[in-house]
Amino acid sequence: MPSNHRMTRRQFVEMGATSVAAATAGGFILGCGGAALEKPEVGAGAGGAAAPPSGAGRPTYFARFGVDEGMIREGIAEALSHGGDYADLFFQHRVSNGLQLEDGEVNRAYTRVELGVGVRVVKGDQTGYAYTEELTRDAIKRAARTAASIADGPARPAPQSFKADGGLPQRYTLDMPWDNVKPEQKLPILDGVNAAVLKADARIKKVSVFFADEAGAVLIVDSLGRMAEDVQPMTMMYVSCVAEQNGRRETNGYNVAGRRGFDFYSPEVVGRVVREAVARTTVLFDAVQPPAGEMQVVLGAGSSGILLHEAIGHGMEADFNRKGTSIYADKIGKPIAKPFVNIVDDAAQSFARGAINVDDEGNPAGTTMLVDKGVLATYMHDAISAKHYGVKPTGNGRRQSYQHAPLPRMRATYMLPGPHKKDEIIASVKNGIYCQSFSNGQVQIGAGDFTFYVKNGFLIENGKLTKPIKDVNIIGNGPKVLEQVDMVADDLVIDEGGWTCGKDVQSVPVSQGLPTVRVAKITVGGRSQKA
Amino acid sequence: MGQDMLATAKSAVEIAKKKGAQDAAGIGRVRRTVEVGWRDGKLEKISEATSRGLDLKLYVDGRYSVVSTSDLRPEGLDAFIGNAIALTRTLAKDPFRTLPDPSLYQGQSKEDLGIADPKIDSIAAVDLRRMAEAVEAAARGVKGASAILSVSSGAATTLSELYQVHSNGFEGNYRDTSFDLFADVSVKDSDGRRPEDGDYASTRLFSELPDPASIGRSASERAMSRLGQKKGASALTTIVLDRRAAGRFVSYLLRPLAASSLQQKRSFLEGLVDKPFGSKQLSFKDDPLLARGLGSRPFDNEGIAAKRFPIFEGGVLRGHYVDTYYGKKLSMKPTTGGMSNLAWGLGTKDGAALVAEVKEGILVTGFIGGNSNDTTGDFSLGVQGYAIRGGKVGEPIGEMNISGSHLQVWKRLVAVGNDPFPYSMGRTPTLVLDGVQVAGT
Repeated sequence: MPSNHRMTRRQFVEMGATSVAAATAGGFILGCGGAALEKPEVGAGAGGAAAPPSGAGRPTYFARFGVDEGMIREGIAEALSHGGDYADLFFQHRVSNGLQLEDGEVNRAYTRVELGVGVRVVKGDQTGYAYTEELTRDAIKRAARTAASIADGPARPAPQSFKADGGLPQRYTLDMPWDNVKPEQKLPILDGVNAAVLKADARIKKVSVFFADEAGAVLIVDSLGRMAEDVQPMTMMYVSCVAEQNGRRETNGYNVAGRRGFDFYSPEVVGRVVREAVARTTVLFDAVQPPAGEMQVVLGAGSSGILLHEAIGHGMEADFNRKGTSIYADKIGKPIAKPFVNIVDDAAQSFARGAINVDDEGNPAGTTMLVDKGVLATYMHDAISAKHYGVKPTGNGRRQSYQHAPLPRMRATYMLPGPHKKDEIIASVKNGIYCQSFSNGQVQIGAGDFTFYVKNGFLIENGKLTKPIKDVNIIGNGPKVLEQVDMVADDLVIDEGGWTCGKDVQSVPVSQGLPTVRVAKITVGGRSQKA
Repeated sequence: MGQDMLATAKSAVEIAKKKGAQDAAGIGRVRRTVEVGWRDGKLEKISEATSRGLDLKLYVDGRYSVVSTSDLRPEGLDAFIGNAIALTRTLAKDPFRTLPDPSLYQGQSKEDLGIADPKIDSIAAVDLRRMAEAVEAAARGVKGASAILSVSSGAATTLSELYQVHSNGFEGNYRDTSFDLFADVSVKDSDGRRPEDGDYASTRLFSELPDPASIGRSASERAMSRLGQKKGASALTTIVLDRRAAGRFVSYLLRPLAASSLQQKRSFLEGLVDKPFGSKQLSFKDDPLLARGLGSRPFDNEGIAAKRFPIFEGGVLRGHYVDTYYGKKLSMKPTTGGMSNLAWGLGTKDGAALVAEVKEGILVTGFIGGNSNDTTGDFSLGVQGYAIRGGKVGEPIGEMNISGSHLQVWKRLVAVGNDPFPYSMGRTPTLVLDGVQVAGT
């Protein structure tokens, strides 16, 4: 399918559900099962096709990729042969597995193996990029030569040796890594979920369960002689239900995700998935049309962090600011929210889907304060923007795979707890809505307009949650909405769902979170007239 | 490279059969992309690479899996397929899972689809760079260009080759090319906002790309027309979806047309074949054989020979997207599992003439976020565009939303343009819908 440049400026986040839809609709293989279907990013991978060893001993990586230091040295030298300022090689081996249950049986499995190396050459803020799936001396040099052509000058010297930073944090060391788990061990989880969902409510007529796990390894080597390695596990389970009542049908689901191992799927976690999937589906039979227009909106703790992702997160990615195209381009050091609003982007949330030990440029990744007591503190940087602004990289340089150059990207974005109580916030609203779960969102970086789509929520009438609502888009303007956040509770939850963020046609896993928050005024895209 | 991938696909199918699969389908893919990004008078990025990969569908003892790999080292491939077959054997049996009936492979069209342009070999990164530069120059040449903060432009070429082999007698391959050109322009508004818009083109043949200057100019004009954007009032009104934006809205009608959606009870279009659904204006076919179409193909991803078939005729639902698997489950004859191009029954007027007829309403030029529920047909989508006042395009509006139900909104499709958008598979013309709930202030 032709590449689509409409996507280049589209910043969005969505649940893994899209992937499942694509897989079930037979669109998996070509990713072309209709214009509306997208190729799953959380795909598939199987029992052990040349599975990477669990990352106990390091550095094991040269062997994993079948390369040696000499090949890397030659690759970097070739990459600098036209005078680039900087070059890096990004090796990646990722085995993803997917199992799907439909109509009561686990009757399809997916596996995807990705192996390749990307070569990047940077000259100022210009980038040359090439990649190859052939990890041979010649192919790496060929890719390096292509990437080198971004620069036009005499060769620069390449380092003679490479040193790994031994002190990387370990934020997702697994007790039961996926390489050692057989498919037979996973199947009972899917069967159990199916049986439990059907037993929980007789109105449930169809259950679909998608179970994904991933064992990935990356090796980043650069022209500063730095070397970084990371083993990056991932898993997600998505349950989707169709329920029928009096001839009406409703669909919804629930999912959990993280850089977790097999042991993550405890009876408690599985039970919560079942309970939430059933409750969030069957409640829709009682749902009414929410009103249309501006009103007070309360965002429930957890996945409402989608507000931050769209309203401020993308706009705080330094590339848009470096280019002057973000609405936040001239707002550093300025107050943009009430003093009790504090927002971070955090690589260090242990086992979170958005956690990383090191970014995809080999830079350390920690906790970045974006908004400190209501004041815009710093952007999220990759190496190019950090150099442009003369600051240290914040460890936000991330990429979808070896086929892509890194960009400033979010990790786990959330708001710190505030001074209010959840009950107090709900009680304060006369007419408004309470948002509980979401499926996707999108932002326009420059105008600041953003949306998020509410799957479940409630009307608030005279300070009380009353009727359920569903399927409503909320639309606002980032800086304006942040000013309108006038109450923040003390009940921060980092959502456990499988969020995927898209930018410049690249998808990366992220997390988000929020305490219960009140927004004084925002447009609700409902269908009934305002009360 | 291509012949290697044919050999790899064949060999993968043979290995799979030798290791115990009763049937297998192998697809080898090669894709070469060259892309140049240009920003504010400077080269920003050159990316150039050839990627390859193998997809393999396995049918083992009544069980099924799909595997794919970019690791094509022969010794690795053997072990990979062996492991995949072992994995498949752990699954539940599925009697509906088979390769397509070989009769569906027959009758491939002899029409020349014109989807591969040999000229692609003569277009290098330096040519793309020149085009991107020309786009920017034109973007900055329009009146009022001092408001421009940044212009990003770019051009890309893609050559794809596909080699497909099925153990029950299918072997096919084709190449296609695409050429892309785009511009995004950011402008500074007096209230501190930095609205952006852009334009793009995507074609099969190089010669069909529009003049780079026209893309640059239109990107700038679109961005500058966003200056002073305001939120309008909530209202029940007529909306005109411009041809470029309409594709997104139509996509929500296509998802529930899939047999998988029907079988899984997730489709508001279930049970509606040969029944009226939309207004008389709603007519389109799936047309995989459209000359130079972005979705054109001689066969689909199951090897099924591509054929035209109607989806809606005068508002009546005529066809679904049916693949082999869900077709068997539903006892429906397969058509194809995936959309190719849409060929619309067109009206007689272009977008501007339709706006003039509408008198009062909203011209929607872009969607932002939102979603649609395939099971119930409820939708709620963020929009931006312009007020229509006295039949003229008025002030820019944004931060607004439209909502409704597909079950009703298509009955109020009152006009269809004569102007299919050529740079997409959906090829939507301008669409005019009456009585749509718009949310704003």
